[in-house]
Amino acid sequence: MFNLYKWMSVVFLCGSLTTVLASEVNEDPLERTMLDIAQKLRCTVCQNQPVSESNSGLAKDMRDVITEKLKQGQNEAQIMQFFVERYGDYVLLEPPRSGNGVPLWLFPPVLLVLALLVAITMMKGRAKNSAPDVPMLTDDDRERIRRARDEDKAGDE
Amino acid sequence: MTRSIWWIIIPVLLVLIGLLGYGLTSNPKHIPSPLIGKPFPVLQGVDLNGQPVSLGNINGKPTVVNVWASWCVACRQEHEVLLRGARRYADQVSLVAVNYKDELADARRWLRRLGDPYLWSLHDLSGRIGIELGVYGVPETFFVNSDGIIVEKISAPLSDAQFAAGVALISKQ
Repeated sequence: MFNLYKWMSVVFLCGSLTTVLASEVNEDPLERTMLDIAQKLRCTVCQNQPVSESNSGLAKDMRDVITEKLKQGQNEAQIMQFFVERYGDYVLLEPPRSGNGVPLWLFPPVLLVLALLVAITMMKGRAKNSAPDVPMLTDDDRERIRRARDEDKAGDE
Repeated sequence: MTRSIWWIIIPVLLVLIGLLGYGLTSNPKHIPSPLIGKPFPVLQGVDLNGQPVSLGNINGKPTVVNVWASWCVACRQEHEVLLRGARRYADQVSLVAVNYKDELADARRWLRRLGDPYLWSLHDLSGRIGIELGVYGVPETFFVNSDGIIVEKISAPLSDAQFAAGVALISKQ
């Protein structure tokens, strides 16, 4: 039994080495580029899935079109432009940073600034309504306290 | 500053709520088409009988281009409207079609069974023509005036009223 375990461990160890020695998967650079572009396009049939991931017929057609255009020598900007001309800005997963897209990009930071202003306003308001100053003890108060303590002590005895 | 800040905050909040309401009540499937106002692309192809045809600028007449497929249930719904419309407005508009990602046999059988209102149907087996037209669902219908400009695109099954309205839009010159 002892020998069996030793040989099994040797075999497993050697087996795990093969993963290091295995050759790299050949990735087609054209397909990689196509998928990079497809990842930025929305599949308009599938509601918010990128074209690179969607299984729908339209997405597959769009991937084929991207591949064709890449082979024709078009670049990413031209291909994106092609789809935007036919499907509108909605086909881009990221809203355009100019024209109609400007309010979309500006809105969150503007909203954040407004929220901060509201927060500051509310904190200022609370500062005005803070607790009144702690009253300091007067000499009369101290006399009363001393008398009360003496009475207390007298009562204990 | 305390009082006046609300003059900014309340309107902004109202605008946000308004936008949210508009967004929640809109149809997420409807995408406004950027092709409206643009010339209909000239696209060559073959019709269901193997004859070469060309989309775009057809006879100089206003044209209705309908995108359909035999596997599309909503197209069946709309087919009656197209049959009626083709007859009623035959002298005003030309009705042609793109048969989208459909097997030839299926498409021809469908038209034989339900009637063929079209001058011809361009056979777009691969869907490439559809992509050139920004088609994302079937049926879709383009209303093109006699200058070849796309005046309207309806991405839903047509009603008789919509067909009539579309014809009126592209007929007035």
